[in-house]
Amino acid sequence: MIEAVGLSKHYGATKAVDDVSFTVRPGMVTGFLGPNGAGKSTTMRMIVGLDRPSSGQVTVNGKRYAEHSAPLREVGVLLDAKAVHTGRSAVNHLRALGATHGIGRTRVEEVIALTGLQSVAKKRVGGFSLGMGQRLGLAAALLGDPATLVLDEPVNGLDPEGVVWVRNLARHLAGEGRTILLSSHLMSEMAQTADHIIVLGRGRVIADAPVGDIVARSTGTAVTVRTPDAERFAALVASPEVTVTSTEPTLLVVNGLSAPQIGELAAREGVVLHELTPTVGSLEEAYMQLTADDVQYRSNGAI
Amino acid sequence: MTTIAPTQLSGVTFGGILRSEWIKLMSLRSTIWCYAILVFLTLGLAALFGSTLYVEGMTLDHDTQQTFAVQAVTFSVGMSQLVVAVLGALVITGEYGTGMIRSTLTAVPARLPALFGKIVVFGAVTFVISLVAMVLSALLSAPLLASSGVDVDFADGAYWAALVGAAGFLALTGVFATAVGTIVRNSAGAIAIVLGFVLVLPTIVQIFAAITRAEWVANLGNFLPSNAGSRMSAYIGESAASADPLGLGGFVLEPWQGALVLVAWVVALLALASVLLKQRDA
Repeated sequence: MIEAVGLSKHYGATKAVDDVSFTVRPGMVTGFLGPNGAGKSTTMRMIVGLDRPSSGQVTVNGKRYAEHSAPLREVGVLLDAKAVHTGRSAVNHLRALGATHGIGRTRVEEVIALTGLQSVAKKRVGGFSLGMGQRLGLAAALLGDPATLVLDEPVNGLDPEGVVWVRNLARHLAGEGRTILLSSHLMSEMAQTADHIIVLGRGRVIADAPVGDIVARSTGTAVTVRTPDAERFAALVASPEVTVTSTEPTLLVVNGLSAPQIGELAAREGVVLHELTPTVGSLEEAYMQLTADDVQYRSNGAI
Repeated sequence: MTTIAPTQLSGVTFGGILRSEWIKLMSLRSTIWCYAILVFLTLGLAALFGSTLYVEGMTLDHDTQQTFAVQAVTFSVGMSQLVVAVLGALVITGEYGTGMIRSTLTAVPARLPALFGKIVVFGAVTFVISLVAMVLSALLSAPLLASSGVDVDFADGAYWAALVGAAGFLALTGVFATAVGTIVRNSAGAIAIVLGFVLVLPTIVQIFAAITRAEWVANLGNFLPSNAGSRMSAYIGESAASADPLGLGGFVLEPWQGALVLVAWVVALLALASVLLKQRDA
């Protein structure tokens, strides 16, 4: 259980995190979403006491992180930036971290095997690929067998097998009753992994709800219409509230009308339809709509 | 939920932190290189001093012989202090440079025990290695010195006190650099500052003392960390004149006073480092 109350972090006039309150519950995977610069990483660093909040506080299982007598056994954390000395081997890195808590070689070997690092465990971390570094970060997070995991972009740089592995691991650990908070920019991945979503935008919470609710909130559900008479039908349905896009000569994507409305209109006008499919909103669409006003770093124009 | 029972398992202990810092120190190549250079310098320069010392047709008294014997073994200290200063800075700035510090402070969120653990381990290892290197140098240089008419008196407690003092000086210099590294969090900056203290400031003070012939300037130089600390390896029997090569008069610190001055520098810098480490975001 992670509880943030009125959590803020200011850098001069910039409000990286601005009066954020949320609860991350045990037994489920909570996804942490937001555009670049929304404050996700800063919030995660405040959870484990690396950054000091400007105001407010965040606790893990009722105590501030630094107040726990065995913090690594309480919270496992994977941060976005590398947090490993490049001149040290993976196994020595894990041994050094574990030693602070009396965690010995047996557990180190376990997490190395769990994260698939056996073949490179004795190599210096400086030569690791992004994916290997990420696996080492996950091994460090799992070292204390913690009840809470805070993972910033855990699948960043992982191969497809690794992505699936992280997803299954997160689901499995949540199933054991642990608290999992993970951030990702991969919406399809998040939709498959998370039960609950917290969306940050410009340092504020802009959504905090189960994945289903977030997706359902996505307005403007599209309907795919396939008809040999596409050009005429597009003119018939068009209105200020309805947008029609076409990617193929016989295919229309209609926004602003429901599938029954479109079907009835086609029947009245005598237009033959080959397909009429309502498209269910995706987490990605819902996310784009939620954060449309809060994106700080937007790419402009077409490629 | 049965797999989760954090309260029954061991938490952070200072012993665990010491073990962690020991693993960290010994698992880096830079450590091995620096200590290897330290040992090589100590032995090599002692052998060089012992084999090239030439005392022309003089009979030296006991204290002068012992002073030469100490100088042979501690001949390398001026260079070794640079090696331990670099290593001392790197043990903390290497963590800042690579991001390792975030792992360290996540494992030990109280932060200060992590810094003190690092200093205890690094200081102790540096002291022991320096002392072992000097004892080996003593054994190596004694037969060489004997051919120059210097018979090393190994039963002389003051001789060993000087060697212990030299090892203590090197350990404290290393810790001094670690404190600076914690404050500036950058390898190049920390090394530049420490070398400035060790090499540049004493020279500047010496030049000013020579130009102005002002006693207080020379006295001030005595309180610079490297000048004060190097008094720790002085042989007690030596005459005050030899420690005052410019003949400026003024006072000369006793070895224990020199140690106190250096310790005061280290404590002051560590206090600042502790406050900053506790306050700053990592």
